[in-house]
Amino acid sequence: MKFRSLLTLITLTIASAASAQETVEAPLQISGSVDTYFKYDFAKTPNIKTYFASEQNSVSIGMIDLTLKKSTGKASFVGELSFGPRGQAQSIVPSEDGESFHIQNLYVNYAFTDKFTMTAGYMGTFIGYEVISPVANFNYSTSYLFGAGPFQNAGIKGAYAFSDKVSLMVGLFNDWNVYQDFNGVSHVGAQLMVAPVKGLTAYLNALSGFSDGADGVGTIVDLTAAYQVTDKFKLGINAADYSVSNDNGGYSGAALYPQYAFTPAVSLGLRGEYFNIKGVGAATDASILSGTLSANIKAGGLTFIPEVRLDNDKDYTQAFVKSSGAATKTASQFSLAAVYAF
Amino acid sequence: MKLLTPFILLFFTLAAFGQDKPLLNDDRGKLIFYEVVVLKEATKDSLDARLAAFFKNSAKSLKQKSLAVDSLIHASGKMIINKTALVLSRPSGEVLYNFYVENRDGKYRFWLTDFNFIPYQRDRYGNFVPSTTVGTPLETKPGKLNAGEWASYLKATTRAVNAFAERFKEAMKGRAAVQPAVKAVPVNPTQKW
Repeated sequence: MKFRSLLTLITLTIASAASAQETVEAPLQISGSVDTYFKYDFAKTPNIKTYFASEQNSVSIGMIDLTLKKSTGKASFVGELSFGPRGQAQSIVPSEDGESFHIQNLYVNYAFTDKFTMTAGYMGTFIGYEVISPVANFNYSTSYLFGAGPFQNAGIKGAYAFSDKVSLMVGLFNDWNVYQDFNGVSHVGAQLMVAPVKGLTAYLNALSGFSDGADGVGTIVDLTAAYQVTDKFKLGINAADYSVSNDNGGYSGAALYPQYAFTPAVSLGLRGEYFNIKGVGAATDASILSGTLSANIKAGGLTFIPEVRLDNDKDYTQAFVKSSGAATKTASQFSLAAVYAF
Repeated sequence: MKLLTPFILLFFTLAAFGQDKPLLNDDRGKLIFYEVVVLKEATKDSLDARLAAFFKNSAKSLKQKSLAVDSLIHASGKMIINKTALVLSRPSGEVLYNFYVENRDGKYRFWLTDFNFIPYQRDRYGNFVPSTTVGTPLETKPGKLNAGEWASYLKATTRAVNAFAERFKEAMKGRAAVQPAVKAVPVNPTQKW
């Protein structure tokens, strides 16, 4: 009796699966990723303070990331949780009560028309080229611009698409990277998207406000663009300037991302970055040059990312050291990451 | 006998997977889904009207390229390919294609071809978006690393094309008969089909 029930249950499960495959859109989307890496700094110490891939001579973990998305008519939500160093302490300072996960995205969205949508909640930032999720980055280690900028912005925003080629987003936001804003909703932000020719999309972003405990009003202006020049060659660019009022420092910089796809499964990409740390008050600026060469080798849902990186810190702000312990301007590392997306 | 029932049900369920008409290669080496449908009672005008209604209802996924007065109607379209595991799924890419239709009195033919696959990747907001603007022709040999993945895209595309064809044929059957135009429609005798 039990065997027959089990057999019928299996049959019905397969039947419902077959039925589900015919539907164009699933009622609930589940996706995510898992990443792990090995990193070796040639000075035998973790010199380059890149976000993620930071542990020396160790097979280490990034995070497991789980995303749920559901749309009902014009309304939708996204909930994304991450577990692991990449999604917790390495990107956001953990809370005192020792939280065991981190929210990457938690927002609701409503499309009032085909052109106008509003979104509220905790969202990945609209600033910058790189993101926390390893699935959406070409390089595994991250840029200085990424590390210095916001990771997430909680807030409410409205986006209007004038056409397929132009759209504008305007919103009110909390302080950077916090679930709760203790000095009130204190930031205003905007994003202008233009896609003037096929393959080119550019975003001009701005975010300004007074963060809780800050020395002044922080304002960031950021340009992010990607251009698919040919079917094999893609060029990305990111340039940003961040200033805190009353000469309280900030940063500026630019990064170029040329990428060449030899086949749909194998591509090679370079990141060249210049990063400038603005001196506070009378202090002088300091700058860093960084070059990262990465390959992406895809096998189904798995992507291998072998990577070499060379940084030059001419002003000794990064405290690079040789294997002997002596201070040095340069640092280099190799890493091999495996990222699985599902 | 009681045990036999679930097995029969299982057999027909699995058989349902294999009913899709496969995509064939045309003389350019491109994958194509081609079909000639005979509707003896339908005039060309009524088929044209049904086709116009189909395009109107599919405006979000089909963009008409040729003029309605052309004998061969050309449109470009997009299908979302979903990665499915049991009852859950997420979009893994989109397939761009060209769609052609030609109507005659009592029959019509249509074909879908020039399939280009664009993989999706997740963006910073947890949505799936095209990772590039340039598609890879579905006929491309994927190499050993991605053979399984590519085969699943091809299978999903075949399924989506068959579903599209069924929907299109259903629309072309029409509900209300359209009065034939007074003006005679010239026939191109040089094209045999």
